[in-house]
Amino acid sequence: MPKLTIDGVQVEVEPGTSVLQAAEKLGIEIPRFCYHERLSVPANCRMCLVEMERAPKPIASCAMPCSDGMVIKTNTETVRKARRGVMEFLLINHPLDCPICDQGGECDLQDQAMGYGFDHSRYGESKRAVTNKNLGPLVATVMTRCIHCTRCIRFIDEIAGVPVLGATSRGEHMEVTTYVEQAIDSELSGNLVDVCPVGALTAKPYAFTARPWELRKTESIDVFDAVGSNIRVDVRGPEVMRVLPRLAEDINEEWISDKSRYAIDGLKRQRLDRPYVRRDGKLVATSWDDAFAAIAQRLNGVPGSRIAALAGDLADAESMLALKDLMIALGSPHRDCRQDGAQFDVSARAGWLFNSGIAGIEQADAILLIGTNLRWEAPLINARVRKRYLQGGLKVGVIGPQHDLTYPTTLIGAGPQSLEDLIEGRHGFAAVLKEAKRPLLILGTGAVQRRDGLAVQALARRAAETFGMITDDWNGYNFLHLAAARTGGLELGFVPGEGGLATAGIVAAAGAGELDVVYLLGADEIDGGRFGKAFVIYQGHHGDRGAHRADVVLPGAAYTEKNATYVNTEGRAQWGRQATFAPAEAREDWKILRALSAVLGHPLPYDSLGAVRRQLAATSPVFGAIDARVAASWAPFGGPGAVDAVPFAAPIENFYMTDPISRASVTMAQCTEAFILPAREKTGTHG
Amino acid sequence: MVSFWSGYALPTIIIILEVLAIIIPLLVAVAYLTYAERKVMAAMQLRQGPNIVGPFGLLQPMADGLKLLTKETIIPAGSNRALFLAAPMVTFLLSLVAWAVIPFGAGLVLSNINVGVLYLFAVSSLGVYGIIIAGWASNSKYAFLGGLRSAAQMVSYEVSIGLVIVSVLLCAGSLNLSRIVEAQHTIWFAVPLFPMFIVFFISGLAETNRAPFDLPEGESELVGGYNVEYSAMTFALFFLGEYANMILMSALTTILFLGGWLPPLGIPPLTWIPGPIWFFAKIAACLFVFIWVRATMPRYRYDQLMRLGWKIFLPFSLIWVLVTAGVLETFGWLPK
Amino acid sequence: MAFLDRTARGFFLSELVSGMALTFSYMFRPKVTLNYPHEKGPISPRFRGEHALRRYANGEERCIACKLCEAVCPAQAITIEAEPRDDGSRRTTRYDIDMTKCIYCGLCQEACPVDAIVEGPNFEFSTETREELFYNKQKLLDNGDRWEAEIAANLTADAPYR
Repeated sequence: MPKLTIDGVQVEVEPGTSVLQAAEKLGIEIPRFCYHERLSVPANCRMCLVEMERAPKPIASCAMPCSDGMVIKTNTETVRKARRGVMEFLLINHPLDCPICDQGGECDLQDQAMGYGFDHSRYGESKRAVTNKNLGPLVATVMTRCIHCTRCIRFIDEIAGVPVLGATSRGEHMEVTTYVEQAIDSELSGNLVDVCPVGALTAKPYAFTARPWELRKTESIDVFDAVGSNIRVDVRGPEVMRVLPRLAEDINEEWISDKSRYAIDGLKRQRLDRPYVRRDGKLVATSWDDAFAAIAQRLNGVPGSRIAALAGDLADAESMLALKDLMIALGSPHRDCRQDGAQFDVSARAGWLFNSGIAGIEQADAILLIGTNLRWEAPLINARVRKRYLQGGLKVGVIGPQHDLTYPTTLIGAGPQSLEDLIEGRHGFAAVLKEAKRPLLILGTGAVQRRDGLAVQALARRAAETFGMITDDWNGYNFLHLAAARTGGLELGFVPGEGGLATAGIVAAAGAGELDVVYLLGADEIDGGRFGKAFVIYQGHHGDRGAHRADVVLPGAAYTEKNATYVNTEGRAQWGRQATFAPAEAREDWKILRALSAVLGHPLPYDSLGAVRRQLAATSPVFGAIDARVAASWAPFGGPGAVDAVPFAAPIENFYMTDPISRASVTMAQCTEAFILPAREKTGTHG
Repeated sequence: MVSFWSGYALPTIIIILEVLAIIIPLLVAVAYLTYAERKVMAAMQLRQGPNIVGPFGLLQPMADGLKLLTKETIIPAGSNRALFLAAPMVTFLLSLVAWAVIPFGAGLVLSNINVGVLYLFAVSSLGVYGIIIAGWASNSKYAFLGGLRSAAQMVSYEVSIGLVIVSVLLCAGSLNLSRIVEAQHTIWFAVPLFPMFIVFFISGLAETNRAPFDLPEGESELVGGYNVEYSAMTFALFFLGEYANMILMSALTTILFLGGWLPPLGIPPLTWIPGPIWFFAKIAACLFVFIWVRATMPRYRYDQLMRLGWKIFLPFSLIWVLVTAGVLETFGWLPK
Repeated sequence: MAFLDRTARGFFLSELVSGMALTFSYMFRPKVTLNYPHEKGPISPRFRGEHALRRYANGEERCIACKLCEAVCPAQAITIEAEPRDDGSRRTTRYDIDMTKCIYCGLCQEACPVDAIVEGPNFEFSTETREELFYNKQKLLDNGDRWEAEIAANLTADAPYR
C-alpha cells in the first residue's frame, strides 16, 4: 500500500492507483479531458499535469501510478502555468462557437477554460477545420470542436465493443473518424455524447432544442427493457427534452441504451389524451364519466369467470396491483402479465429472477446464454458481460441463434436438444462449465416463449444444478425478462389465479366467445383481431394496437408522467418519478383503476400513492426494499414433459421498436431504417 | 292679463336674463381661470402649460369640462347618497348666489340691498356646509378629515375677515357695497388700511382653501381631501364652486379695498374707460396674485395655519379696528 | 440690532415679497421644457429603447438561438425555442419578448454574442392593447429592418467604449 503526500496531506492508496485517483480520494479536483474512470488511460490531453518532487517536469497525474513517498503538489504556480499552457494549445484549434454548440453550459472545456483560459487568443493564423462525419441518426458531429481526447474511440472499442472509430493522421491533422463513412451500429452509441467532453459529438434528435439551464431534472427509472436503468429525465415546460443515465454501479453503471435515451420523442406522438368509447364501430372522444358508465353498463351482470385482464410491458406495479385487486373483487381469476406468452413456473421466484445480479456477472468465469440475444434484449447486461470478457478468462457459450454480441462466443446448438446434450456432457463446453468456479447461465425469454417453455425452464434448472451454478454464496441461474413490467407483475401475483387462464388461454377464450370482457392494461403486443367479439377495455398511453381494437379507451400516463414502481429483472424494485404531466385528460394509471372500481361498486381500499405502496409492500417484500435486490431461495421449478426439437427463436425482431413508445418515435424509426432494414436485406431474411 | 304680464312675468324673465348674464360669463371666467392658473404656474416653473388643444391651448378648459362630463359618477357604497349628491350642489349654488349683490359698475347690480356686506358674509359662511357635508357623506376617513380641517380653517379666518370688514365699514359708513365703493372716491381703502388689506387678502386665501392654505385637500396627507370620493360632474361642481369662490373673493377685495369700478385717479384718460372694465381688471389682478402666491409658497402646516389665524390675525385686526375707530373718532372723520 | 432687523423683516413680510419677486422674475425666463410630440430631446447611442432583431447585410438573421439573452433576462421576459433549420444551422423557431415584463436593463444586448438582439433608439411604441406588446420574432425582425440604420450608427458610435 503506497503512501504519498498530496498538497501536504498524507494518503494511503491501493497499489496501481493513479495520482489523479488518489487526489480525488482526498477531494482535490484535478482537471482532465481524456481521463475517464471507466475507460483505459491514454494520457494525451495533458490537462491533469501536477508537480512531483524530484521530477524535472510536471507529470500527467492520470497515468502516473502512486508509489511510496511521492510528494505531489497540485496547486503551485508551475502547475497552473502548465495547465494554462495546455488550455491555450487546446483552444488554438477549438472554434469557440459555444453560442451555437449544444454542449454549451455543460461543457468540460468551457468550465475549465473559466479556470485556466485566457480572455483572448495569441493565435492569429487560420484555425483548423475538419469535415463532419455522419455517424447515423443518433450522434451529430462537429469535428472541428474535437480536442482529440479519444474518449469516444476508447468507449466504442472497450464498452460498446464495436470498433468503428479511430484516429487518422497526426498532430494538427489528426481526425477522429470511422475510416469508412458509416453509422455506428451499436445499442450504446448514445453514450458517446455523454463521454465527449466538448461539443464534437452531440445528440442529433436533441439538437439545438434546449439549454441545460432550462431543464428541470427528475431522477427516474427506465422502462424500455427489464434492466431498470437509472435515468435522469430532463424536462422543459411540459416536454421531455432528453434522458440521461444516472450512476448506478449495480445496474447500468453510467450508460444507457439508445432506445432508453432516444425513444422519448415517441412520448409526444400518438398519445391518448382523452377517453374514447366505441359507438357504431368508431371510437368517439368522450368524458371520463361517460367512459366509466359504458364500462359499468357492459360489466353489469357479467360473471367474473367471463372477465379477463392482461398487463402490458410498461405497466407499473401500482396499476397492476390495482387491476389485480379489481379483478379479484369482480370474481375473475383470469389475469396475466406475460403478454408475450412466455411459459414458466411462476411458483418459485428463483426460476424467473436474474439471481446473480447484473453486477454478479463480473465474478463469473463461464457464461451460458440460452435462447437470448443479449445485445438487443438487455444491451447493458451485454456491456457488463463484455466488461467481464475484457478482464480476461471468460468463456461464453450460446444455445440458440448466434448473434454478434461484441465478444467471442462458442455456439453449442440451436435448440433445447443441445442444452440436453450439454447437460449430458456431450459437448466440449460442458467441460468449461464444469471447471469454472463461478459458472453462470442466462435463460432468455425466447427460450420459454414456446409451448414447451416449462420443460425448457426445468432443463435450465438441471443445467444450473449440474454445472455447480448453485452454491451457498453463488446462484448462477439467471432469467432475463424483456419488459420492465414483468418482474413487478410476477412479484405482486399478476398471474392466473385459481382456475384462471394465462395469456394464450385468455386470447383463445376471447376469440371463442367464452370471455365477455378483456381489460388490457397497456397490453399492445397481441393482435386485436384475436379477441373475437369480447368487449375490450384498453388503458394505456399510446394509440397502438390495443387502443385500435378497444371498445373503451382510458388514457393513462407514460413512465415520465407518474410516480411508479418498477421491478427489474434482478428483483430490484425502484421508484420512477414524475417528471411532467400526462397530456390533457390522461391520468395516473392506478388512480384510473381506483376511480373505475368505485363506479363498479367495488372500491379499492387505497386512496393515496402511499397507501398503494403500503399495500404493495404487504404483497411482496420486494416492494418494501426499494433500490435493494431481494434474493430468492433456490427451489425446484419448471414443468414436466419433453422438449421440442424446434430451435430457439429470437423474441425481438427490431431492437428499436419493441413497445408503444418506441413504435411512435421518429428517431427509432430512423434507427430502424439505418440499422435494421439494411441488415435484413443483407441476410436475405426480409422479404 | 296685462298686469300679470307686466307685473310678474316680465320682471321674472328680466331677472332670469340678468342672472344668466352674470352666471354664464362667470362660468366662462372660471373655466379660463383654470387655464390662466395652469399657464401662469407653468411660466413661473419654466414649463409650457397646456398648448395642444386649440391655439395656445385655449380650448383646454373645454376639453377638461367635456372629460368630466363624460365620466362616470361613482357613488361609494357606504356613503349617504342624498347628502353625498347634495354637497357639491350646495357648494356650487352658494358660490353663485353671492354674486347677486356684487356691483359691477355704478348701478350695475342685480340686487342693491343695504346689507350687502352682511349677505356676502353669511353666504360665504354657509359655504362651509357644502364641504363638511361632503366630508361626512363620503364615509371615508380622508374625506372626513379634509372636511373637518376645511370647516375649522374657514371658521377661524372668518373671524379676522369680519374684523377687517368692520374697519372698512367704519371708514365707509354703510353696509351697501355700492356705497362702500363710492366711499373710496377720494382714496382706495387699500392705502389707509394697507395692513388690513394684506390681512384680508391672506384670510381670503384661507377662506377659499387656496395655497398655501390648501390643507383640506392636502394631497400628501389626505389624498384628495373632502372631495376624494367625488368624480365626474359632482367633482366638477366642487371645482367650479371653488374657482367661483376665488373670483368672488377677488371681487370682494376689489370692492372693499381697491375702489371697485372706480379708476385709480379721477383724471380724464382714466375716467374714459368704463367702470366695469376697471372692475374686471382689478379682479384679474387679484386672481393673478392668487395664482402667483400658489406658485411661490409651500403649504402651511396645520398648527401654523391655526396659529396664524388665532394668534396673529385676530389680535392684529382687533387692534386695527380699535386704531381705526380711534383715529376716525379723534379727527372727526367718521362718515355721516 | 439683530432683533430689530428680524422683527422688521417679519413685520414687513420682506421674505414673502422677495420670494414673490423671484417667482415673478421666473415668468419671463425661457422655458426649459420641450414641446414633446413635436420636439424631441437628443438620446445617447446607448439608449435602451424598443427591442429589435438584426440581420446581416445579406438578409440572414443574426440570431443563432444561443439562448444567452433568455438566460440572462432578469425579468424572464424572453422566450426562445429553437431547432435545426433546413440547412442544418441553429435558428430560433420562436423568439418572443413580453414587453410588459421587460425592464429595459439591456442585459440581453450585452449578452448577445452576435449583436442580434439590440435595444434600439425607438421609445414610442405604446399600444392600445396588452397583446400588442407581446412581441414575436417577426415583429422583432421587422423592427430590426426598420431601425437598422440608426442601430448600426449607434453601435458604431459606442464601439470605442465597449
